[in-house]
Amino acid sequence: MDTTPALEIKNLHKTYGKKKVVAVDGISLTLPRGAFLGLLGPNGAGKSTLINCIVGVNKITSGSIKTFGFDVEKDYRESRKTLGVAPQEFNVDIFSKVSSTLDYVAGYYGLRKEKREKRVEELLDQFGLQEHKDKVFSELSGGLKRRVVLARALVHVPEFLILDEPTAGVDVELRRELWSYLQELSRAGKTILLTSHYLEEVELLADRFAFIDGGKIVAAGSKEKMLAGGKKLEDVYLELTGKNKV
Amino acid sequence: MNWIGLYTLMRREIERTFRVVVQTIFSPLISASLFIFVFGTVVGARIDEIGGVSYIVFVFPGILIMNVLTSAFSQASSSTYFAKWARTIEELLVAPLSYFEIMIGTVLSAVARAFTVGIVILLMGLLFGAVQMQSFPLFIFYILGVSIVFGLLGIITGLVAKSFEQLNVLSTFIILPFSFLGGMFYTLDMLPEAAQKVAIFNPFFYFVDGIRFAMVGIHDSNLLIGAIMIFALILILGGTVWRIFYTGWRIRE
Repeated sequence: MDTTPALEIKNLHKTYGKKKVVAVDGISLTLPRGAFLGLLGPNGAGKSTLINCIVGVNKITSGSIKTFGFDVEKDYRESRKTLGVAPQEFNVDIFSKVSSTLDYVAGYYGLRKEKREKRVEELLDQFGLQEHKDKVFSELSGGLKRRVVLARALVHVPEFLILDEPTAGVDVELRRELWSYLQELSRAGKTILLTSHYLEEVELLADRFAFIDGGKIVAAGSKEKMLAGGKKLEDVYLELTGKNKV
Repeated sequence: MNWIGLYTLMRREIERTFRVVVQTIFSPLISASLFIFVFGTVVGARIDEIGGVSYIVFVFPGILIMNVLTSAFSQASSSTYFAKWARTIEELLVAPLSYFEIMIGTVLSAVARAFTVGIVILLMGLLFGAVQMQSFPLFIFYILGVSIVFGLLGIITGLVAKSFEQLNVLSTFIILPFSFLGGMFYTLDMLPEAAQKVAIFNPFFYFVDGIRFAMVGIHDSNLLIGAIMIFALILILGGTVWRIFYTGWRIRE
């Protein structure tokens, strides 16, 4: 059995601009295959920057990131095939139809026409988008837009799913549907990295947590270890990020 | 090579072109038709032959190449700027596509739009009796070469521009005046001597002159210089675009 970690980050540094504003400050993190990580931290802690470094949207200042043993910069093609990402902000062509958006992205990942059409149909069904497939993205409600972004992340059947605030702005019904779907994916052995401001969501879904603050991992570990003694995730979060000190 | 990815990128851009067909195809067609009408029927009838051909036959290659290069430039610049503005470029950055493939896909979609516009205007020219063809391979060479040059220039402009207004700066202040001053409507010897010396430094002069030679068989410039210039521009601009993608300037933070 291949024991190469799904994610291996070594001493990652990321600075922005000429003033070298530090966004990620020496993060090291290893995630085994099939793990479900809840990445937590206050706004501006470096969560989205870390994700953007993993998926290739941001350049790495120093350090290294590997997904399934593939360096995200040197072996970017192989690394990106393993990743599916749903970003916090919508980055979809607002004039493109829902079905076309999924079809194009499937094409970028090299799926042939027949496979692509089948996969798009599966996802339209899975995310309740069939009746909206001919609508352009700008015509959709916030919840439907979120569904499209999630479906897009899954179009090439990635082994590792990265979800940055996937339930922001969606109704309770969709949120619960999504939880159930993520649990299903996790049971199927997919590796998942989830960031969310809904701590109950992370507590329910993730089997391990990493807390990030000021660009550093301030604590990381399994759910059992971090919530030992019946602690609530919210209390641990406030304690670790110092937000309980008024 | 990720051939399916590359093909998809092109397909997406071409479909985007046809989503706004009035702006991308009909607008240059109307503009070219007006030029053909004015210079063929109104003004052309009162002008003597140039180089043994009617005035409309003389100016038609210039009208054609101006629309071809403008279309290639608009396609690549608007596509790149829109992708940056709407952040859809992230779809490409997270996909298993190399920078080279992204560059080639964008340029080829610019070439496709330029060819579509070129064919439509050529058909319009045939209706007005404005089309001659001396060398079809040379004609294709100039259309293709100029489309690639302006496709690459469009990508650079789309990356540099910080607003929709800036996107039009190159078009308004460089492309339009340089095309008009590049011998679209006249031969080099019609210009004052001083202006002739300046004109030979205008790259557009070689583009117009080259396509005119391919279509009508007359030329003012050294065609070899024109061909070398096209190859050199493709290499320089292609290298610049690849370098920009590689360093991530204005694309990857």
